[in-house]
Amino acid sequence: MTRDQIFGQVRSTLVEALNVDDNEVTPAARLRGDLNAESIDFLDIVFRLERQFNIKIPREDLFPESIFQGDAKFVADGKVTPEGLVELEQRMPYADLTEFRKDPKMDKMEDLFTVDLIVRYLESRVGTK
Amino acid sequence: MLLKDQVAVVTGGSRGIGRAIVQALAAEGAKVAFVYRGSEAAAKELEVAVAAAGGVAKAYQGDVADPEAGDRIVGEVLAEWGRIDILVNNAGIIRDKLFLQMEADDWNAVMTTNLTGAFTFCKAVAKQMAFKQRSGRIVNVSSVAAEHVNVGQANYAASKGALNSLTRSLAVELGRRNVLVNAVAPGFIETDMSAAVRNMAGEDNLKKLIPVRRLGKPEDIAAVVVFLAGPAAAYITGQVITVDGGLSLGAVSG
Repeated sequence: MTRDQIFGQVRSTLVEALNVDDNEVTPAARLRGDLNAESIDFLDIVFRLERQFNIKIPREDLFPESIFQGDAKFVADGKVTPEGLVELEQRMPYADLTEFRKDPKMDKMEDLFTVDLIVRYLESRVGTK
Repeated sequence: MLLKDQVAVVTGGSRGIGRAIVQALAAEGAKVAFVYRGSEAAAKELEVAVAAAGGVAKAYQGDVADPEAGDRIVGEVLAEWGRIDILVNNAGIIRDKLFLQMEADDWNAVMTTNLTGAFTFCKAVAKQMAFKQRSGRIVNVSSVAAEHVNVGQANYAASKGALNSLTRSLAVELGRRNVLVNAVAPGFIETDMSAAVRNMAGEDNLKKLIPVRRLGKPEDIAAVVVFLAGPAAAYITGQVITVDGGLSLGAVSG
């Protein structure tokens, strides 16, 4: 599946799950900040993507809350530690961490979860070059 | 007809309060799937009684204490009727004993049926309601005994108190998807389950504890379940509605 095809399917999934318009679902749109997704919506999105792409998606892959589980090695004082950043890079190679590295506050982490991140993730799972 | 063409699932539906709930939901036009454990004759008789009144009710055998029961029965109901608008977790048991004589079996049996049974049925309908339908009503049948405890009911009171907490938790998590979750807390209702207490205490003595001076009827509870399942309750969630003729006010008669 090409990247464009994946994006098209992700867009229709998000339109249905979040009751948003087609044109709101841009690659840069943040799921929480721009598309108003809440935790139950992330679950819905994961279930829909699993059905649509016929894959299993481990909870941590696309679920912002569950990545660090408050582990002090990875988060301290409301910030992701250097070790945490390495962990994040390994666990989410499809995420663009450039901006986040500059100020890795936990409450900014949700901004990583953009439409583009989902597309890249799915590309890593079902994409063809 | 408040619930025309809606589909309801009621656990513990063949007798007592559950039976009245099945009849009341069906009278409002809902198609009702009810779960019974052992009372097959009562279940069949209820199917016939509802049909005779012009309604639709179908019996499903199962024990809510069986962890598979929720998914199995909900799957069968969805295959038959395609949606589930209302879930009423009514199945409940008592195993009254003084705490010092209460064994783990007594505790586990009551917790498994009254609390875990509600959990597994809520789980079984939650995706359907929250993700596919984006609407649904769940009504848990609790008890005033959760807050106004009686001697010999540590297991029962704990199970109903936890059921109230489960009600509030689900209300918070599912509200965004228009799934409303409430509980009804009956007082002394004239059912087989309360017969032992009524016999022991004497009905006249019990009535003195109840400001309206009568025991409740299963229909008194069913009416509130219909209300919570219906359009008038569209802005109520996470609440425990006490229906006890004033028993829980704790007033002394006279």
